[in-house]
Amino acid sequence: MKIRTCSAIPVLLCLWLFLLGSSLIAPVAAVAADAMPDLLLEDEYDNDYDDWQDADIISDPLEPWNRAVFVFNDKLYFWMLKPVKNVYAEALPHDIRGCIDNFVNNLSSPIVLINTLLQGRFSDAWTVISRFGINTVLGVYGFGDPAASEFAMHPPSADFGQTLGRYGAGTGIYLYWPIFGPSNVRDTLGRVADFAANPVNYVGLNSDEALGYSGTALVNRMSVSPDVYEETIKYSLDPYVAIRQGYYEYRNARIRGGGTEENQ
Amino acid sequence: MNVRTAVLLFLLSVLLCPVVNAVESPMAQLKPTLKSLTDLLADERLKGDAHRDERRAKIMKAIKVGFDFEEMSKRILGRTWQDISAEEREYFTRQMIKLLENIYVGKLESYSGQQIDFQEERVKGKRAQVSTTIDNQGVKVPVHYILNLTDSRWMVYDINIEGVSLVGNYREQFKSILRTDKFAGLIKVIEEKNKSFEKGQASL
Repeated sequence: MKIRTCSAIPVLLCLWLFLLGSSLIAPVAAVAADAMPDLLLEDEYDNDYDDWQDADIISDPLEPWNRAVFVFNDKLYFWMLKPVKNVYAEALPHDIRGCIDNFVNNLSSPIVLINTLLQGRFSDAWTVISRFGINTVLGVYGFGDPAASEFAMHPPSADFGQTLGRYGAGTGIYLYWPIFGPSNVRDTLGRVADFAANPVNYVGLNSDEALGYSGTALVNRMSVSPDVYEETIKYSLDPYVAIRQGYYEYRNARIRGGGTEENQ
Repeated sequence: MNVRTAVLLFLLSVLLCPVVNAVESPMAQLKPTLKSLTDLLADERLKGDAHRDERRAKIMKAIKVGFDFEEMSKRILGRTWQDISAEEREYFTRQMIKLLENIYVGKLESYSGQQIDFQEERVKGKRAQVSTTIDNQGVKVPVHYILNLTDSRWMVYDINIEGVSLVGNYREQFKSILRTDKFAGLIKVIEEKNKSFEKGQASL
């Protein structure tokens, strides 16, 4: 499969889509019935205003800079990315985009496998291996997902930021990256490590081809995911804070993972 | 029926009486509320923009049975609730109910018949958590309802989707606005947001 791009701009756009995609519109977690987190542990309120917590939990010393980047990314999204995504989504039928998404996910199995193993989630690791085998053979190189549709094996997800979190690493300060969006020190490191571990980097593509692959993968991801970013903007009074808080809680929930092995 | 059976039955009825009178479990109370909501959302006669107002009115009526928007508003505002006058509280709550209606009902309306599974409930004193999963094309999304026991009913005051709390998220946004713009500024932002939803409605 050969995909060419002539300029770096679409590639950057796509990269951003990917990060938005993977941080905000990541495939959601399915949870085992017995793995429900206890959300009643801390009542920060308890009808008693005296205990009211005013302190911020999220460290965001770069807020003014982050907010400027937020505005930049927002414009980029509405002026460039969204039109690109819309054209792409119109050009390709939903089924095909679904197949491309399956193919890309199948190829990234090794990253998920490494992270499930590092996190000690052995049954999830086995699911990753089984899914890879089934989908590569029966799903024609991973374009189909018979593992999910025929064997009810849904894809586990795991990333290195999550692995670090499970070993007790703190988030570090909040970072809002140009193009890439919400993150923090821990998850930025995690993303760099996961990127380095992607097998696509080791199959001898030249840099244009590699970026083209990522770009297509990323626009595609966005085209099959719900518009979480736009929803957030629409329903928030301070979208910057809404995304910062949402990202923090979402990542925390993924790291806690219900306490036991998660079968996502 | 012999005497023994009669005595047993009598004892049983005495023992069971308080159970019957006691408050139903949070899950048992939430189930019919969610059922009436999903029924309304699935109702073909209420679909489409032409029936938007009627649909919203019916949904709001059904929601109010099990959701406590006033409690939500208080929790979102936090300590500032204490610093404002009775009139301000009243006005704030009215605006907030409008906002939450726009947010929650707007989100609900994207529901398209997915299966809701009740997983488990947890009760701690006057608070409870009911955990559900929504089946979205084979992927189970966890949605937790946090409830408060008011009088004799369990009322939802927070919804947690995939670890993200609705009340917590808005509370952080409010905190940030209050820090720079104080209460008057916050009210303005809420009013503007509500207006933007009305405009969106007009343009549909």
